Amino acid sequence: MAVVEEFAPPAPTAADPASALRMKAVLGALLALCFLVLPLLRPGEFILSLATTLLITAIATTSLHLIVRLGSVSLAHGAFMGLGSYAAVLSAMKLGLPFPLALIVSFLVPAALGLAVGPVLLRLSGKYFVLVTFLMGEIIRLIFVSWQSLTGGSNGIFGIPYPYKAFASHTVFYYFTFVLAALCIGLVARVLQSEIGRTMDAIREDSRLAQCSGIPVLRTKVAIFTLSCGLVGISGALFAYFVRYIDPTSFSITQSLNFVVMNVVGGMYQLAGPIVGTVFFVILPEFLRGYVDFQRIIFGICLVVVMAALPGGIVGLIARLRLLSNKVMGENP
Amino acid sequence: MKSWKFVLSALIAAGFAFGAVGAQAKNKELKIGVIGALSGGGTAWGQGLLHGVTIAADELNAKGGLKVGDTVYDLKIVAYDDQYNAAQAKSAAERLVNEEKVKFLFGPVGSPGALSAVPVTQPAHVIEFVDGYAPKILDNQWKDNSFVFRTGLSSQEFADPMVAWVKKNLSDVKKIGVIAPNDAVGQQAITSLVNRYKSQGFDVWTDFYERGTKEFTPVLLRMVAQNVDLFDLNANAPGEAALLIKQAREVGYSGKIIQAGGAGVNEIVQAIGPAANGFLKYDIVDFDDPRLQPFVKKYKAKYSGIINGLAPQYYNTARILFEAISKAGTLDTTKVRDAIENLQGWDAPIYGPLKWTGKKTYGVAHQILIPFYIDKVKDGKGVVIDTITPAGD
Amino acid sequence: MFSPVILGQVLINGISLSAIYILVSLGFTLLFGIMRVVNFAHGSLAMLGGYALFFLYTQYHVPYAIAVPLAALVVATLSLVLERMVYRWFYQKMFQSMIGLIGLDMALYSTAAIIWGPNERSIPSPVSGIYHLGPLFLSSSKLVIIFTAAATLLAFFAFTHLTRQGLAMRAAAQDVETAELQGIHTDRIYILAFFIAIFMAALAGGLYAQNYTLSPFMGERPLMMAFVAVILGGMGSIPGVALGGIILGMTESFVGTYFGSTTSTFVTFGAVILILIVRPWGLLGTPEAS
Repeated sequence: MAVVEEFAPPAPTAADPASALRMKAVLGALLALCFLVLPLLRPGEFILSLATTLLITAIATTSLHLIVRLGSVSLAHGAFMGLGSYAAVLSAMKLGLPFPLALIVSFLVPAALGLAVGPVLLRLSGKYFVLVTFLMGEIIRLIFVSWQSLTGGSNGIFGIPYPYKAFASHTVFYYFTFVLAALCIGLVARVLQSEIGRTMDAIREDSRLAQCSGIPVLRTKVAIFTLSCGLVGISGALFAYFVRYIDPTSFSITQSLNFVVMNVVGGMYQLAGPIVGTVFFVILPEFLRGYVDFQRIIFGICLVVVMAALPGGIVGLIARLRLLSNKVMGENP
Repeated sequence: MKSWKFVLSALIAAGFAFGAVGAQAKNKELKIGVIGALSGGGTAWGQGLLHGVTIAADELNAKGGLKVGDTVYDLKIVAYDDQYNAAQAKSAAERLVNEEKVKFLFGPVGSPGALSAVPVTQPAHVIEFVDGYAPKILDNQWKDNSFVFRTGLSSQEFADPMVAWVKKNLSDVKKIGVIAPNDAVGQQAITSLVNRYKSQGFDVWTDFYERGTKEFTPVLLRMVAQNVDLFDLNANAPGEAALLIKQAREVGYSGKIIQAGGAGVNEIVQAIGPAANGFLKYDIVDFDDPRLQPFVKKYKAKYSGIINGLAPQYYNTARILFEAISKAGTLDTTKVRDAIENLQGWDAPIYGPLKWTGKKTYGVAHQILIPFYIDKVKDGKGVVIDTITPAGD
Repeated sequence: MFSPVILGQVLINGISLSAIYILVSLGFTLLFGIMRVVNFAHGSLAMLGGYALFFLYTQYHVPYAIAVPLAALVVATLSLVLERMVYRWFYQKMFQSMIGLIGLDMALYSTAAIIWGPNERSIPSPVSGIYHLGPLFLSSSKLVIIFTAAATLLAFFAFTHLTRQGLAMRAAAQDVETAELQGIHTDRIYILAFFIAIFMAALAGGLYAQNYTLSPFMGERPLMMAFVAVILGGMGSIPGVALGGIILGMTESFVGTYFGSTTSTFVTFGAVILILIVRPWGLLGTPEAS
């Protein structure tokens, strides 16, 4: 069942008019350039650290965006991120795999789980799917906590070594993260622009109609879900090597909800949404550090407002304002 | 991205301007960092830490400031909330060390936070005072030039004497039941505790529960069925400990109850009142100790509510730091660190002569050695019935 | 382990646990049944009930028997503001309600943390003491919960089957449009249902807080409990809540005592996931045309 059907303005399809597409590409390139240039401005360790966190989170939120564009939401992405973290760290520290292999493992393990449960869970209509992912996330976290011999339990894994000596430099790690983020987000953009993207839109709008048109609905959903889980696994690996200490509390429902908030508040209909949401969500707490409760109140209110009245999130709001200003100016939108 | 730097520096400048205008201080300012859980679950500890350090700093400021060589500094506390979470603690530590340029840090409290802050402070030679039972807090790759000190006892120090006390004073106990949360503290403390009990000849049964559980009757009944005669609430937070005691009685448990770790008998007593009578507790502070009264008075004048045991502990620690800085005559952290180590024997305000230990256990003698207490609840009040000083190494 | 005394105590514990599940789940299922809203803020509203009881009973010294329903009444009345500002946007919109109410939940407990501080408090009980039924034990506060759960369940049933408003609610739950055609004012029914649901949540919250501890974050667990009980029993079904509550309460007691806490949690979650996969509308719910 389509999730966003109740709102009158239909979501813009993936096949955007060429000019809007070019505009987005330009904006995306500009943003990438900003990130590329950042270290050269000598901003200091802390800001570099913040930017790295931003990039890692952006990979995770854009991976969730794939599921959102399918018309649903997963409340288990924090747990899948954890799967990627533990998989990477354990394969590197216990099996002695080299870093590139550990990265691949961090993609494969959560993707494999996604592939295994996907066919069963994605049959459920949107609301039940969300509830099931909620429970799944909890079970996975419980396994992290209980399987002490493997994961270190609640005490986690401490002293994760640098992948390579060079990565001890914050700048080197930052650039590496940037490259991976560009690749992952680029992949997501590509998928959304392609034929599959259009299929996803059809499924979101009306899955039964899509099914009747010959679209293999379940297969597409499973494929996208698997990809999404794999990508968030990669962000998990980066997270592990960045903080150098992982424990189950980092992969709880709170983290999953954070990703959802970023997608919803940023904007569920465009790839720019989760990116805007990530920036908003990672930067704002730094200004309100020490006022955690206020942060949560603001995020809570944002969620209510967006779900009640502003389905397109911040990005949608900007788009609407532009439309409005165009109308006022008398130009054609 | 340049705008970033600008905004941030503008904010910091504004903050300083406000501070300067507001305080009209003539002295230079020395920033002292504090990281602790100031929201969410572990708040009692985080606030205890913050209050203890604040009282010490205010005291010194009222006397004119901290004298370092020829300069006098006003102490300013910069406190960050880590919500008892590893990633937040790391981020807070980075901010304090890299942005605020803090050289002296109190906290985080709790192993997850401490373990992620240590890799930030040690390479930067920032002196840090932490709490948390994990041995790796001291026994890590930086121990040969360590700037981290642990100013509270960890289970490595108090577990053996505690178990010995139980064996001597509760001689008819044969089987011990332990129920703990499966969080970081629970999983860390319980394994070593169980081994120690077993090595002293006790039979031990354990079970863990999910954090957030409040209904323990099924697992308590399970324990009753094991014919346990001593129930150890080790590693439980005060709220859960209180509920465990109350519900144990509600399910028919009639044996003795002890909490051989963790702090805070008052919270428990306040929560369940007379149901706590007979309860035995490990505690880190003796509120009837005359040495503590000046501190208690100062605390009550400034804050309300129950005094968490970490408050006097960190007050003591802060005083140690200030004394060491004065003695070193400089803010250079290597010299201050050496001064702290050499402060061995100094009569600290709360716990008396300072003793560092741990060279054998951790590879660096940065573990404080202080006494701990056994409380018993009589008529709804916790009373100290024994004082134990662990052996150092 | 299988002695009759232990088994008997398992049964008593199970009944107490079931009562808590039922009490905590009634408000949650009502909102879903009538308005198709997944009230993720349920726990925080229960928490508000807890604080209301705390202040009424300990600060204003209102006698206990009056304080309990009065606290629930206060919270339900004040929540009418929330109904207007937040809930009304989400009626009949399940997905939006989920995410939006998660936001409301965050805002509520964070505000509570700021106003009342994050520390845990306890609400003293007017009844203390443990009853002995032969070799078995039952605490008096649990007895209060069992009575309240049974009473509210009966009251609910009577209301929805015997009163006009109750019948109107059931009609609206089944089919909004047809109900309107029959002359039922659905907006008024919604407000009534909302009021009753929040009253139930706050009532449960007060008793829950008293039995355990009060804190701004205490609502998380009741929410989880309501969640699983209602999914198991059937979203929107009152008998479903009773069934779900009893199954969960008894399972937790039995599995928890004989196999330990962790096993109990896994079994509960596993069972609920299974139900969601195989029969998502729950044991006593009705499948929707979706």
